[in-house]
Amino acid sequence: MEGVRMSSEPNSSLLERVRSPFEGPNTLGNSNGFWLTFGVGVVSLALYPVLFGTYAAGERAVFLVYALLGVSLCFVWGFCGILSFGQVAFFGVSGYTFGIVGLNVSSYTGVTLGIVAGIAVATLFAAALGYFMFYGGVRDVYVTIITLVVALVLKTFMDQTAGGEWAVGEAELGGFNGMRNIPNLAIGVGDIGIEVSRAMHYYVALAALIGVYLGLRVLVNGRFGYAMVATLEDETRTEMFGYNTTFIKLVTFTLGGALAGLSGVLYVTWGNYINPQQFAITAASMPVIWASIGGRDSIAGTIAAAIVLQWIELQLSGEWALVIVGSLLVFVILVMPEGIAPRLRTFVLDRQSSSEPTTTPATTEEVTD
Amino acid sequence: MNGYELLNVTFQFLESFAFIVLATVGLAVIFGMMGIINLAHGEFILVGAYATTLSAHQGLPLPAAMLVGVVATTIFGIVLERTIIRRLYGRLLDSMVATFGISLVLVQLTRILFGNSIDQVSTPFGAISYGSYSYSLYRVLLAGAAIATLLGLYLLFTRTAFGIRARATIQDEETARSMGVDTDRMYMSTFAIGSALAGLTGALYAPARASPTPEFGSEFLVDAFVAVVVGGPSVLVGTPLAGGFLGLIEAFFTFQWTQFIGTVAMLVAAIVMIRLLPDGFSGLVESVRTSWRESE
Amino acid sequence: MAASDPTVKTTRAVDETGERSSRILQTRDLHKEFGGLTATDTVDFAVEEGELRCLIGPNGAGKSTVLNLITGQLEPTAGSIYYDGIDITSLPSHERVDRGISMKFQVPTLYEDLTARQNLRIPLQRIVDAAEFETRTRELLAQFDLLAEIDETPATLSHGQQQRLEIAMAMALEPTLMLLDEPVAGLSVEETAEVAELLRTIRAQEGVAFIVIEHDIDFVETIADRVTVLDQGSIFTEGTIEEVKTDPAVRRIYLGEET
Repeated sequence: MEGVRMSSEPNSSLLERVRSPFEGPNTLGNSNGFWLTFGVGVVSLALYPVLFGTYAAGERAVFLVYALLGVSLCFVWGFCGILSFGQVAFFGVSGYTFGIVGLNVSSYTGVTLGIVAGIAVATLFAAALGYFMFYGGVRDVYVTIITLVVALVLKTFMDQTAGGEWAVGEAELGGFNGMRNIPNLAIGVGDIGIEVSRAMHYYVALAALIGVYLGLRVLVNGRFGYAMVATLEDETRTEMFGYNTTFIKLVTFTLGGALAGLSGVLYVTWGNYINPQQFAITAASMPVIWASIGGRDSIAGTIAAAIVLQWIELQLSGEWALVIVGSLLVFVILVMPEGIAPRLRTFVLDRQSSSEPTTTPATTEEVTD
Repeated sequence: MNGYELLNVTFQFLESFAFIVLATVGLAVIFGMMGIINLAHGEFILVGAYATTLSAHQGLPLPAAMLVGVVATTIFGIVLERTIIRRLYGRLLDSMVATFGISLVLVQLTRILFGNSIDQVSTPFGAISYGSYSYSLYRVLLAGAAIATLLGLYLLFTRTAFGIRARATIQDEETARSMGVDTDRMYMSTFAIGSALAGLTGALYAPARASPTPEFGSEFLVDAFVAVVVGGPSVLVGTPLAGGFLGLIEAFFTFQWTQFIGTVAMLVAAIVMIRLLPDGFSGLVESVRTSWRESE
Repeated sequence: MAASDPTVKTTRAVDETGERSSRILQTRDLHKEFGGLTATDTVDFAVEEGELRCLIGPNGAGKSTVLNLITGQLEPTAGSIYYDGIDITSLPSHERVDRGISMKFQVPTLYEDLTARQNLRIPLQRIVDAAEFETRTRELLAQFDLLAEIDETPATLSHGQQQRLEIAMAMALEPTLMLLDEPVAGLSVEETAEVAELLRTIRAQEGVAFIVIEHDIDFVETIADRVTVLDQGSIFTEGTIEEVKTDPAVRRIYLGEET
């Protein structure tokens, strides 16, 4: 990770001071080049509805929503070593919870409450599961297996919730057909509030994604981030610096659950619908695929991979999509196990250091829309 | 509970036990010996089931078709090991992710090649009738197959030169290598055995469950993962104990209430077990054994 | 020494010998088994404030086990550990660190992706504010003669520099008891002399107590106040380095084992 060092110089410009909380050794891109690429990426994502129309943007908003789910995994796996196949569990639980609240409490109050309830339930669920695992001494592959089993069991459970006896008030869980007529995203109390249309949903999702991205950058480069990364690298050692690594893992896992929950709320309000396929093994694999291919310790890389791979899947749109994405995953694991973004960064750094060794090397993560 | 009901719950137990043990052995051999969690395990079972079913449709008698299933899965496993898995030894999480990718590809390829389901081979042997009940004889006999498989593994790992070398490799790879064990071949053979066992499971269950679909393998996953976690790293000790324990709980609750409650009860039991015994039954047996040796 | 009562788990400010002693650490009947194997057996030993104690003994004598029991990486099968008069036997590692116990592992385990400055931040951020990171980091690095390496990652540091950075990180927590597991293993004669000098300076300045596991008897001789000899999981003898060195029984244990 050597090379990019520019913070903590005393006489820094205003721009550098604004940037400094977002930068540090725990995130990959800290250079001018990186932020430039980042800016281009954000602008092109923001321009998408203008260029391709609000209908297309409304349809594609789900890419951003799923990218957020990918980020939730990238955060727990890449920064704290917890490979969770269960992010979809928190995503789905949050979506169903939102649906139940939103369908039962009418008006804006219901939707607003639903957002809070969805994220809260997902967070509590992650906290409970995390407490059980980490304080129970469950580690490594066992954590992965247990999170996968939780997702699969939720699928089995939700699949058999067809019929009237599986209704919570107005909201029918609906078995494998899923829950329908979930309200749009909105915020307000009673009759006063703002409803987010499908076209606007795109911008809400984009804002959430950028907000979470920048927030996580501050977090992982701050006090807690150092503790997370230290735990990732060597738990025993970190324990002997006085850190409660069990607690650090629990907090990380819970935060990851909350982010997945946020993503779940944005998902159900986008499609007004959720079904148990969201817990299925294919769905559970997607965040893992994005983070593995994009680079699990690069949040931007994971976001880019999520968006690009969903776009590719949409273009292929046929039965071969999964075959190609699955093969790509195996290929990346074999050829560049750390993922594409870190590899790209090394590549750019190498080229720059051979041509102009004194200036700050540019870092880039592919940003595409 | 009258006699017939007792018989019912016994059959239910045998069936659960057989299912858990057979779903798990292949995964457990590979995990216990190599430390790799093969997330494509379900698809290895799928290969076994499809090869068996398709060759039975070609007119092969069922036992021969099953043999084809086992052989096909073994070859398939060896090819994957040589091309992909071998490169991921020592990278635990990477190997999980890669096998996961393999699993996605296999399920989808199966769907593309054979459609959403293939015709089932009919269950042999008919049923045992007692009172107003009847139970498929074949499904009961699967328990026998499960026990025979465990016994075979026990003999393989304790009585053959291969087994002794394999155990030496797990305990200390460096030493084993310095004593002339070809550890690379050891791993290949272990993976082949794990694949063969998964193929056997697929072959045995091909006639016993509903028409094989591309998701056939994933139906075994939850039981297999839970049993590996509850059983711990030792196949010979962990798998039968986990199968017995979880099977008993599942059978009882299924008998009392429904299949779904049975599954839930089994999972709750597994969760409690993991909380109490992080190393599973293997760990428990190990510590009991050492303290017993101590008191001698 | 009074026999311990393993059922007593409550904290107490004064140990039962009655003296409000200057003992920083006291273990009572410390016993640890792995499976059926006894790693340590009724280890009773005490370390005074500011003392430098060396723990020596043949391989498998239980030295590392004792250290790991003190840090809480291992839980004793029986017995108890008092630190500053308080029973810490059931505290998790990180709480023991909070109370002033710090440890340097035998194998250097620096954070590979972080520079020396960032490595030091991991312990430092627990006890000082962000504003003080830089000053404190520079002080520590200067003290351990690593200031020039402030932006280097561990891979580019020499073995001796890595060892010094490790000790700096452990010292950053301002411990009152410092545990060192073979601090000079694999170091050259010059580097060993440097570490010895460093330990002497730290002790002179900060009055930290040390427990050092070491095989190198010459090194032990230059630094130790007292030496505890472990053999087969029990304390074989204790005394000054001269007493221990001239003890024929100690020589017998060591003959052929190590120098």
